[in-house]
Amino acid sequence: MKRPRRAGQAILWVVALVALAVTLFPFYWMLNTSLKPTAEVFASPPTFVSAHWSFDAYASLLRSRPVARYFANSLIVALGSTMLSVLLAALAAYGVTRFFPRGATPFVLFLLFTKMLPETLLIIPYFQLMSDLGLLNTYWALILAYSSFALPFSVWMLIGFFRSIPRELDEAAHIDGAGVLQTFFRVILPLARPGLVAVALFTFLIAWNSYVWALVLTTDASMFVMSVGIANMVGEYRVQWNELMAAAVIAAVPVMALYALLERHLVNAITAGAVKG
Amino acid sequence: MPRRYGYFFLAPVVLFLGAVIVLPLAHAFWTSLHRVRGLSTTFVGLANYVRALTDDAFWHSLGVSVVFTASSVALHLVLGLALALLLDQLRFARTAMRIAFLTPWMVAPAVGATIWLWLLEPQFGVVNWLLRAVHVVNAPVAWLGEPGTALGAVIGVDVWRGVPFVMLLMLAGLQTIPAEQYEAAAMDGAGAWQRFRHVTWPNLRYLTVVATTLDVINTIRHYDIIGVMTAGGPAGATETLPVLLYNTAFRANRFGDAAAVGVLLLLVVLAFAAVYVKVARLDRIERT
Repeated sequence: MKRPRRAGQAILWVVALVALAVTLFPFYWMLNTSLKPTAEVFASPPTFVSAHWSFDAYASLLRSRPVARYFANSLIVALGSTMLSVLLAALAAYGVTRFFPRGATPFVLFLLFTKMLPETLLIIPYFQLMSDLGLLNTYWALILAYSSFALPFSVWMLIGFFRSIPRELDEAAHIDGAGVLQTFFRVILPLARPGLVAVALFTFLIAWNSYVWALVLTTDASMFVMSVGIANMVGEYRVQWNELMAAAVIAAVPVMALYALLERHLVNAITAGAVKG
Repeated sequence: MPRRYGYFFLAPVVLFLGAVIVLPLAHAFWTSLHRVRGLSTTFVGLANYVRALTDDAFWHSLGVSVVFTASSVALHLVLGLALALLLDQLRFARTAMRIAFLTPWMVAPAVGATIWLWLLEPQFGVVNWLLRAVHVVNAPVAWLGEPGTALGAVIGVDVWRGVPFVMLLMLAGLQTIPAEQYEAAAMDGAGAWQRFRHVTWPNLRYLTVVATTLDVINTIRHYDIIGVMTAGGPAGATETLPVLLYNTAFRANRFGDAAAVGVLLLLVVLAFAAVYVKVARLDRIERT
């Protein structure tokens, strides 16, 4: 589109920066509160910048609660889900594009259907099944669930990717004596790396940010993930807001940083599906 | 390569989805036909559905869901489109701005909701302080304590979280519009509004329908924000269907009733899903 110059740009930037300030203010307030000493948290008027900023709330949070454990749990579950989901999605997408090209559409429609199921509906039977299998309070219960959320989108995305890789490459590898698996792992997967990265990021984000499944499937505090640990602190009689915000920073900032760095991959992947149809 | 290898590649995902999606789904239907009390399970036919459909709580909850979803989605779309148009006009730093605006969407909804709990805290929250400083309100408002403001507050938080995603889709859509169309419009002497009306909007219409449908499907199922902020209260004012479902299953321990509510919610979602599939396919046919 034609972009206005000078005066027009100045007005646009003012509007954009005001909108940005409103959007990001909650995060500023999270950080600001997390750095305040307890007495100052309840000061009126509230302080927007403080001379007493320190990491005391972080220190007392880490002393009083197993936040490091929550963090590790989140990380294990998110990485586990990512690995499982990407592997399954890559196998399925390759299988469909190379062996059943005409089955791709019904397969994708079925995947879309699973993506639309209300998660609170599935939680009930999933909880009962995990309970019967004795898998409550295990990483597996969460890894299996989270992998399934990201899988439909991942397969859909990777089908597009594998289609763009010429089949002649498979055939050439085959003629060179590579087996089916060897072709898949050595020839095709490396070529699909951008797609795999995008799908991995997407899955990690879903798993890291998920809440209600972990809430239901973990009752033992040592198995809480970050989101559940944080929400659990809210329910307490006297909420330590600076510690709570410190926990929110610990949960949010690593993901924000990771995604700011790798945003392009993720954005391309997400918009590709919706824009291209 | 022989086809049988294909089954080998597809088997893992089929088995996996069977175990994690299809089996639980079937089990949910089964549960919805039973009364589950601790370890005893009795077949009751459609009694759970009858009870849900004759219960005011269900219809109230459906109403809350409709208000929550319609308001959130409408605001996501309007603000998301406005932001996309704005960012698309900037001459530099567009990627950096896009990343910055995307932040609320990248953070866990449960964590975002926790931050908002503190912002909206009646006595010490900064929102009340700011509103009093500019004399919008005179006394502190218990945002989540009053039925009227509680629903507005959770919608507000969902809007904050959901706008970036629509913005992202719309920005991508704007970038696919050929520059020649704008040049042609400019040659015809079209002003900014006319360019939007006759070039931008027709090009974005399909994407808007897709974004709306996806957003409705995601918003009507959403639990986390309300679960953390109000758990459905006060007095059921924010109890959308997913929250009713959760409360019935995991607070009241009535799994059969909850499963019936879930199946009814699924029917609502599927109606929208059908629209989505239809629209997405129509476009594919049009372009070939």
